[in-house]
Amino acid sequence: MGAPRTRIEPPTPEQATFLERAMTQYGKATYNFAYRLTGNESDARDLAQDAFIRVYKAWRSFQPGTSFLSWIYRIVTNLYRDELRRRKGRFQEEIPEDNAPQEFGGQRPLAVTPIEDYVERQLSEPLSLALAQLSSEQRQVVLLADIEEYSYQEIAEIMGCSIGTVRSRLHRARALLRRLVERAQKES
Amino acid sequence: MTDHLSSELLIDYLRRELPPQDDALVHVHLDTCTACRREYEVEASLTEALRAAAAREEVEFPSLVAARVWEEIRNAKPSPLAQIAALWRPLVALPVAAALVFAVFLVGPMSHSGPKIAASYYLEEHAAQQAQNPLTERGPAASHFIETSALDSDTSTELADEADYGVAATGVIDAVR
Ligand SMILES: [Zn+2]
Repeated sequence: MGAPRTRIEPPTPEQATFLERAMTQYGKATYNFAYRLTGNESDARDLAQDAFIRVYKAWRSFQPGTSFLSWIYRIVTNLYRDELRRRKGRFQEEIPEDNAPQEFGGQRPLAVTPIEDYVERQLSEPLSLALAQLSSEQRQVVLLADIEEYSYQEIAEIMGCSIGTVRSRLHRARALLRRLVERAQKES
Repeated sequence: MTDHLSSELLIDYLRRELPPQDDALVHVHLDTCTACRREYEVEASLTEALRAAAAREEVEFPSLVAARVWEEIRNAKPSPLAQIAALWRPLVALPVAAALVFAVFLVGPMSHSGPKIAASYYLEEHAAQQAQNPLTERGPAASHFIETSALDSDTSTELADEADYGVAATGVIDAVR
């Protein structure tokens, strides 16, 4: 993504091992989280890449015994928020690099993209459609709560907000999801 | 609890986030109220559907991402402190290389092939270290040499393997772009 490049020191062997293990063990989870968050492969790749660079730089700040996944989800969430801020007002979407996304469940672009795009890509899943229409914060809470199964407390820590905010975001997001899915079902 | 349960309460119950007393109250109400029970099942099915969709769409971690991460690390400019440290290396390496060449010259007739390889190795090593000097201009033609020689000279074997992987993937990245 368009983040300014900060300095990266050459790796020590421990640091290289740390990064290697992080990507081997958590690359898939991280990438899937990024993919669900951004809704497209290109952004998900950039987001995952930036997240692991940050893991690499900040590896010493990781506390052994704590959840690595929570840590990297927090990194991904922060990077994504920063990226959305950067893009805000531009409302432009990157053109997907390939047009055969069906095996991955379809391309779900960023929330700012018009709904017609999904239809064009033959994404028939009403739930994925609905999920893509949530605000990024609402989507994050739904992903962390319903798919990753984190508690409100853990989500609050990952997203850097209060438990009350997590709760109200989840409530609103789910209410919206239900309405969107019901509407889609009536229409079809 | 005479009223029906709010969806907020049902969601918190579903997620097991309610304090024990409230949790028990909701549990009892759901046992006796069909309308709320139905509402609860809708909420539960939404969670199930979300998980099922996520499982269906699950993708592998693209090796391209790992390759790009290593590439970014490899291409990164070291900090000023590391640059100063790097500056000293050629100053040390030059006399060492010269001494080795001289040693080869002396030992030369006795063991012809072995030491010669060693000397050329150290000379190349020196060149690599010089190339690493951040103050040296990096022309486009020299960039490939710098990149690979830098790898040979001071990275661990483990990382060098990764870096080779990264070099190989660079073509792929370019192709994608
Ligand atoms: Zn009721």
